Amino acid sequence: MTAGSKGAVQSWGSAFASARGSGGPPKPWRRRLAGPEGFSLKTFVFSVILLMGAIIGLQIARERQTNSIEPDERLLYVRSGPLLEKVSLSYDAVMADVYWIRTLQHYGGTRLSKKTDKRYDLLYPLLDITTSLDPKFAIAYRFGAIFLAEGYPDGPGRPDQAIELLKKGMRAQPQKWQYLHDAGFIYYWWLEDFRSAAEWFDRASRVPGSPWWLKPLTATTMAQGGDRASSRLLWQQMLEAADNDWLRQNATLRLAQLIALDHLDQLSALVARYKSSTGHLPSSWEILVGARLLSQAPIDPAGVPYHLDPATGAVELAEKSPLHPLPAHLRRH
Amino acid sequence: MRVVREIALHVFKESVRDRVPYTLVFFAVLLMATSYLLGQLTAGQEVKIIKDLGLAATSLIGLFIAIFIGIGLVSKEVERRSIYNLLSKPVSRRQVVLGKYLGLVLTLLVNISVMVAALYGVLAYFWFVSDPSVKAGWETPALDPALMVASGLIFVELALITALALVFSTFSSPLLSAALTFGLFIVGHFNADLKRFDQIVASRPVAYLARALYYLLPNLTLFDVKAEVVHGYHVPATAVVSAVGYAAAYIAVLVATSVFIFERRDFK
Amino acid sequence: MPAIRTEALTKDYSTGFWRPRPSRALENLTLEIAPGEIFGFLGPNGAGKTTTLKLLMQLIFPTSGRAEILGRPVGDVGVKRRLGYLPENPYFYDNLTAEELLVYYARVFGHHGSEAARRAGELLDLVGIGGERALQLRKFSKGMLQRIGLAQALLNDPDVVFLDEPMSGLDPLGRRDVRELILRLRERGCTVFFSSHILSDAESLCSRVAILSAGRLIATGTVSELLAFGVGGWELVMTNLAAATVARLGLRIARATEIAEGHYALELPIDAAPDGLLRELTAAGAALVSLNPIRPTLEDVFIKKVGGARERATFHHGAHRDHREKT
Repeated sequence: MTAGSKGAVQSWGSAFASARGSGGPPKPWRRRLAGPEGFSLKTFVFSVILLMGAIIGLQIARERQTNSIEPDERLLYVRSGPLLEKVSLSYDAVMADVYWIRTLQHYGGTRLSKKTDKRYDLLYPLLDITTSLDPKFAIAYRFGAIFLAEGYPDGPGRPDQAIELLKKGMRAQPQKWQYLHDAGFIYYWWLEDFRSAAEWFDRASRVPGSPWWLKPLTATTMAQGGDRASSRLLWQQMLEAADNDWLRQNATLRLAQLIALDHLDQLSALVARYKSSTGHLPSSWEILVGARLLSQAPIDPAGVPYHLDPATGAVELAEKSPLHPLPAHLRRH
Repeated sequence: MRVVREIALHVFKESVRDRVPYTLVFFAVLLMATSYLLGQLTAGQEVKIIKDLGLAATSLIGLFIAIFIGIGLVSKEVERRSIYNLLSKPVSRRQVVLGKYLGLVLTLLVNISVMVAALYGVLAYFWFVSDPSVKAGWETPALDPALMVASGLIFVELALITALALVFSTFSSPLLSAALTFGLFIVGHFNADLKRFDQIVASRPVAYLARALYYLLPNLTLFDVKAEVVHGYHVPATAVVSAVGYAAAYIAVLVATSVFIFERRDFK
Repeated sequence: MPAIRTEALTKDYSTGFWRPRPSRALENLTLEIAPGEIFGFLGPNGAGKTTTLKLLMQLIFPTSGRAEILGRPVGDVGVKRRLGYLPENPYFYDNLTAEELLVYYARVFGHHGSEAARRAGELLDLVGIGGERALQLRKFSKGMLQRIGLAQALLNDPDVVFLDEPMSGLDPLGRRDVRELILRLRERGCTVFFSSHILSDAESLCSRVAILSAGRLIATGTVSELLAFGVGGWELVMTNLAAATVARLGLRIARATEIAEGHYALELPIDAAPDGLLRELTAAGAALVSLNPIRPTLEDVFIKKVGGARERATFHHGAHRDHREKT
């Protein structure tokens, strides 16, 4: 317990020198660290490392346990945004940021998890709280809506909640044409309700300061809803507006899918041309290359070869392609 | 051990003289005023609100004691040089650190016990005056023993924060110690957010750093079961045991660090 | 075995936060103090007295060198049982009463219950704290705190007592009390090591003194050794002496000071026998007032050793100065 029990009379200097096994005056800081009594540096470092190991181990063990039981309910003790806003006093903007970070982590974590029954239950409440804490949190409305609408298993597949969230944004900031545009987008892409989509685009185009391309978008959506041109326009705008990696990747993926759809149409036409001139289906792409219809075996924008079914002549995206599956409603041309 | 006990008792006595008990009066007034106001409102949620408020106040007042009194007792002793007298007695520096820490923990224990007893008192009153139809609407019984779990973990958390304050007060000024301790208290409650940082930052080193911080900084969310208890969620025994074990290991690290620093510093 | 022994004790402090530079507070202090001695540790403010005491109490750690008390390294808890220490300007806990404070320390020393209370009461009586003992220490004056400090230093009937500026903050009565207390400790065989910048204290109390200046030991020895020059001459005071007579004395006197009209103090060198001169002057009509040998005081020794204007400015014989020594 105390230095008193150590016995022999020794100076600190000599105690240190003998510990290092060498003569000469030690540097003051080394002597200081080596310490005068009892608790040596070695014992200290050793016990701290041991205990920190225990601490980290316990945390990991706890994580394993809670993760296997239920989603992290802890994120959301308080489900009422307005209540939380009161509780946060004047720091609600900071709290909104915290909840936004939690939202991203919850969405991203669930999306990437290897579990078969992914649950995005907390996504909408988290977004609701974030936007209640900071009603002008545009990013939270816009990306939140995109996350909510994303089809299962990459998202909860809740376009209805996405529209709900955007409507909340519109009430907070009526001048934001982006919310109207995003609502139109969700009707267009996920609900395939082109009439409603066109209505939202139209409303967006009438907000002062909205961009010019909303008008042609309204027109094409109205006239030929679901065509690739308007889809391309939409995703192109998404890509340009995205300030987040995931959104940028998502828009790039969609644009690549649209290119792949064009490719599939062109390749199907080639196969048909080959059949009409030779009377039989090509068994492989090499045949078409041999017939000088193609310069090489065709690959999709992700670099994976397209699949040609020799039995039916159907041209498909390879299942292992990152672009798989293609959005069904755009297959028809 | 005798010396450690004497120092601890002295800390307790000093904190009592330092008007710590006034916080209890504040707590009692707060609870009674709330109860009175709630009595004017429609029945149903008052028991929940009293529990929320009681536990939150217990934790906040405890934090106040841990930070301000805790830091004051150690660094004031150094700053005003009363440590000179104490260390000239047959006392080792290690005993001083341990005694100070245990005395503070004792102070916290007594204070929290009184506050929890007062909370149960007010809840008992509501249980007594409410009629069965109102009671049926309660998520949890008024005199729920789970409140003991929640307040027990509040105590454990505060013991950890006191150990943090102890480390800082062994080498820095009282004001800086208070700021650092309070900062870590805030960080400790949000550091679970560092866990999945890889979801929001692209940079790998940053994500690893965040994860390392998550494991190294005190994770105070482990001790926060207030909401679960108030809403009647089951708090598994393993969660309580692991939280207490975590706190014990962390406190050991912090007290060892305090001793390590304290045994080496010059009292200029 | 010496009661206190230091060997080449050296302490550097780092000054400056960004670019720490060592500043030497104490250099190669080697001292040996025998049991039962009253040892005066003297020096101007900032000489390193408090640094030495803190090293002996292990409140700070030496840069090099070693120190032992009662044959054990400093900081040894067993030895601390036999020590008393009064820090410079002692401070205690504001919210405790004097009695509670001493009971606390008595309990730390291992006294129990009523025994601790009895011991605390005895010590308070010893230092002359009466009815005030039930007051909280926040209400105590500096002098009273100094007395409490003494009481706590003597609580365990120590074998070695360290007193850092024990007279500071005390009125003349208090100083007399402390002086008596120290003499009583000596009777009991207690070793007393006290620091002071007030030389008269040391002169009347100490068996041995050491003089420290700017971190270095510049003189050590018994008071009589330091004053070893013995009689340094004679001081002859005469009245009814004509100025012309004085002028005629020339080199036979070292100095002549006119105190009043016809009233002179004459300093004679040691080798001049005073009787011849006295006879001559009496024959000239002067009357003898007094004849005294001139002895150097400790202060003379001190000023001679320390030298320099700075030291003289901060060094006041017997005067109390209320400022903290920065070491």
